[in-house]
Amino acid sequence: MAETTQLELVTPARIMAQKSVQMVVAPGVEGLFGVLPRHAPLLADLTRGIVEVHEDGKVTDRFMIDGGLADVSGESVTILAERAIDLGSADAATLKEKAANANEAEAAFLNAVIEAL
Amino acid sequence: MASLKDLKTRINSVKSTQKITAAMKMVAAAKLRRAQEAAEAGRPYADRMRGVIANLAAKADASSAPALLVGNGKSTTHLLVVVSADRGLCGGFNGSITRQTRTEVARLQGEGKTVKLLMVGRKSADALRREFGDIYIASLEGIQGTSVAFADAADLGETVRSGFENGDFDVCTMIYNKFVNAITQEVKLTQLIPAEVGDAGGDDAGSNYDYEPEEDELLASLLPRIISTQIYSALLESSAAELAARMTAMDNATRNAGDMIDRLTLVFNRTRQAAITNELIEIISGAEAL
Repeated sequence: MAETTQLELVTPARIMAQKSVQMVVAPGVEGLFGVLPRHAPLLADLTRGIVEVHEDGKVTDRFMIDGGLADVSGESVTILAERAIDLGSADAATLKEKAANANEAEAAFLNAVIEAL
Repeated sequence: MASLKDLKTRINSVKSTQKITAAMKMVAAAKLRRAQEAAEAGRPYADRMRGVIANLAAKADASSAPALLVGNGKSTTHLLVVVSADRGLCGGFNGSITRQTRTEVARLQGEGKTVKLLMVGRKSADALRREFGDIYIASLEGIQGTSVAFADAADLGETVRSGFENGDFDVCTMIYNKFVNAITQEVKLTQLIPAEVGDAGGDDAGSNYDYEPEEDELLASLLPRIISTQIYSALLESSAAELAARMTAMDNATRNAGDMIDRLTLVFNRTRQAAITNELIEIISGAEAL
């Protein structure tokens, strides 16, 4: 078993993901960065984009986040995002409906999610 | 002694009161489940945020770090953000917040500080208006209660932050009810500005964080968000606690109404019996007199 790092993706509403993974790719404000186990401690501001979770050399989960904060230490990655959507289980039609009823900021995020699908 | 008719009226009025309290209890219980879930689901986010900020505050260099994090070096003016409910009938919920606020204001004024109040929720604002109305900087309604929106918390956070930056106050503390379980609420004081320094740095002491972007830039975007998050989590806790308090209070009220109905019914029956006995005695003695 390869070395892993503990990923947590948390929003104000709930914990979106919590598991041991090989690599996380996150959308920093200064560009995408990957986090492997034993990464140096890092505190990074995130922008709207996709968080990719890598396990066994493959991308297993993709989450769209609307900016946030990544707290990286040697053995864990904690991503705090105000909004996040699991792209694996999202469905464009329902999102479109939500976007129509949402306020401006929320709708912009949802439209970005629909585009990414 | 009350007449039979009076007793009947009283019993009926207590019965309708009981129906109302029972319904309110039911409504509170149904809403509580959702509010409780929201409050508990929001805790991890707020906790992690607090962890990050405590870490930052512990490592921050007092001279160069932003004032939001380490304060502006003064503590002469205090702002208290008081979170109570918009509606009453929830037991000691608003009372304990009001009492705590009064103590805290007295303590700070006793130390010679200037105190300002930002009231969230109508009840405590009304209760304290006569005493402290002149030190209110704002009184907000309708942003907590059954549904709390992050946007409202963010607006409130923005108000607090801009107030701090304009030098309206030096220290900001929030007073709210924390939801413990359905029958217990705990009054909590949380300091928002400057950030509370936790016992951080324990696990990876000495490790220096890398920042992306630069530390100042990162903190500038992060700190307002942290304040909003803390306010949001306090509002969630408070709304769950309010519903729990209302449920308990209404449950007690329903039970008390039941007891009262029992007592009144007993008196009613006795009175009726006494009236019947009286009539019988009158008839019998009338018959004997013939």
